[in-house]
Amino acid sequence: MDSAAYAAKTSAMLTSVPLLPQQEGWAALPRLPQMLGAALFLAAAALGTHLTKDSLPEPSGLFLFFFAVLLAAVRFGFWIGIATAIAAFTLFNFLFVAPLYTLAIAKPGDLLVLAEFLCVAGLTGFLAGRLREEANAAKSRAAVLEVLSAFASDLAEADEPLAVEQALVIHATALAHGPALVLHARDPNASLEVTDLQPPDLQAPDLQAAERAFRRHIPQDAAEPGQQGGRYTFLPLMQQGQVVLVLGYHRLDAQWPDRFARAAAIEVICHQANLALERLRFAQAAEDARTAATREQLRAALLTSLSHDLRTPLATILGAITSLRQLGATLPPAARDDLALAIEEEAQRLASYVDNLLHMTRLQAGLSLHLIWVDPADVIAAAVARARRAFPLAEITADLPDLPMIRAESALLEQSLFNLIDNAVKFSTPPARIAITARVLPASLTLTVTDQGPGIAPDALAQIFTPFFRANPNLPGTGLGLTICHGITAALGGSLTAESPVADGHGTAMHISLPLPKVSA
Amino acid sequence: MSTLPILSKPLTLPKPLILIVDDEPQIQRFLGHALAASGYDTCFAATGQGALEAVAAQKPDAMILDLGLPDLNGKAVIETLRAKSNLPIIVLSAHDQEMEKIMALDLGANDFVAKPFGIGELLARLRACLRKAPQPEDILRQGPLVIDLPGHTVTRDGAPVHLTPTEFDLLVMLARNPGRVLSHRQILLQIWGPAHGEDVPYLRVFIGQLRQKIESNPSAPDLIRTEPGIGYRWMAD
Repeated sequence: MDSAAYAAKTSAMLTSVPLLPQQEGWAALPRLPQMLGAALFLAAAALGTHLTKDSLPEPSGLFLFFFAVLLAAVRFGFWIGIATAIAAFTLFNFLFVAPLYTLAIAKPGDLLVLAEFLCVAGLTGFLAGRLREEANAAKSRAAVLEVLSAFASDLAEADEPLAVEQALVIHATALAHGPALVLHARDPNASLEVTDLQPPDLQAPDLQAAERAFRRHIPQDAAEPGQQGGRYTFLPLMQQGQVVLVLGYHRLDAQWPDRFARAAAIEVICHQANLALERLRFAQAAEDARTAATREQLRAALLTSLSHDLRTPLATILGAITSLRQLGATLPPAARDDLALAIEEEAQRLASYVDNLLHMTRLQAGLSLHLIWVDPADVIAAAVARARRAFPLAEITADLPDLPMIRAESALLEQSLFNLIDNAVKFSTPPARIAITARVLPASLTLTVTDQGPGIAPDALAQIFTPFFRANPNLPGTGLGLTICHGITAALGGSLTAESPVADGHGTAMHISLPLPKVSA
Repeated sequence: MSTLPILSKPLTLPKPLILIVDDEPQIQRFLGHALAASGYDTCFAATGQGALEAVAAQKPDAMILDLGLPDLNGKAVIETLRAKSNLPIIVLSAHDQEMEKIMALDLGANDFVAKPFGIGELLARLRACLRKAPQPEDILRQGPLVIDLPGHTVTRDGAPVHLTPTEFDLLVMLARNPGRVLSHRQILLQIWGPAHGEDVPYLRVFIGQLRQKIESNPSAPDLIRTEPGIGYRWMAD
């Protein structure tokens, strides 16, 4: 995720788990507006009783007061309910019970009314308060769960440690209801660095707390008493006894009723993030091991190829030369010529092999190419001339339209064309007939080398560009030719594709496609 | 007139037939020319199976065998052949395939030549292998060295050389195989017995002592040559 998207998501998450209304527990202490509200209910009850005392029977007034107590308890909680009950009893006694306008209690039964008022108010206040608490807590739990599940799905998608850390910060921000950040140390002895993209401003006490969390491997709260006014809490994430990172989040307010749930959720996401980081580390290690194994395999194949393909020509050359020198007089002229020819052929083979090796090394090392303007027709002519020298018996034709200039390195392009012709001759039944054609498209140039050989089997076709793959191990070759062509065309910005069979079940066409440079008008 | 061919017959010995087993046509090509020019007849095989068939059909006098064949490992060819014949076998192997060479020698190959090689080296090995096993002689001579077997004495330029019985046995074993490589194991088994097949450092000490006594320059020996990692060779002529 890029930094803008990350910043947007982080700030959006800031309020995704809403804070619970504070002091709404059933035993919350009364506040002034609540008391005024309760007084208003009582006043309404008194007024109602007064207006209806002539038309309705006496107990109806009592019920109005009773209703006021109930409302106050439901709306404002336990303590207001109790206070309202006492006030209601006193007011009712004062206003409506004989002797009027005194607080004297004439009948002992009236005390029972007071007790009833108190019970109803207390019970209702308690139940209503608890209900509200429960509802709030459920809402908060749902929000936390939502964060946890969103975090889990973010982690499932995370394919690199940075993504895990970003998800951790985003969701810790949501849970802490304030900014969060991640701190790293390059190694256990270095000091921590803020690596978050959007670091909130940290003060000295915060940084000291983070450092302590990192050194001591235990959570640190910079806002604890005696910590000189930091604002963050820091949690270290441990793997194999080492802190991999420290998560900092805005301190949870001690007043928040759900702060423990939030702290627990933050610990959960830290744990999950840790697991995800570990999984990524293992995946990376497995990937590294696989790469190393492939490289090792390639190296072994290269060594085998080197030992065989360099040695055999050398053995022939050395053997033939020593034969000529030591047995020269006894060798018939035809045998002498043949030995000299063998030396020439093997020296050619060595030269071509060394060329290929050098090209491959250069391609693998990723050396930069020196692209210049090249006439493809010249390159094709050079490759064809070289191929005709190497394979005097093969019939090689080049039928070309007018070709535009391209940007290329001509030695490399020639090598790859030569390799294609070489391959085509090798896999053809003599006399080999090789055709080179070219096609100009608006944005690219395609050079095609077609043979009339037996074609390539479908399963071999998929592998022909693999280094050291040889379709027919009985034929001489290194399995490098096509790999190098492929590498060269890719380096020139083009592509190499194989097509087989070409016509009625035989023949192979290799297409080199090269981009045509845009000609500025 | 008709007697002429009969008269000339004893002058031309039948040419030895050499079987060349190598899957590289270019190697076959130059070996064919070189061996033909050196007075040998040649036949060829490109596979291990082909080699076994050619041995049975053509009865060659010696075989030049490349260890890296496409079908059958060269060592398997030696093993199969040695079960029924003592046809001289010269193994061609890459320079760094030391283990291969040792195993081939232990399986019964007579000698080896490391690729790439000069033709002279191969021809020398071939001659050494084809040399008829010498009649048991009482006196072996090599340059200034004279070994009197019945007398158990050795002289160099006429001066007596004092050897321990083991040194004497070692010297006789080497001198009886001129030009041929003897592997550490072959020497150890014959001189010290089956329990000492791996005591190469021990052998090295004895060779060192022997060189001190018989070589004119023990630090640059020209009688007992070391084949590094493989064994020792008694230099003939």
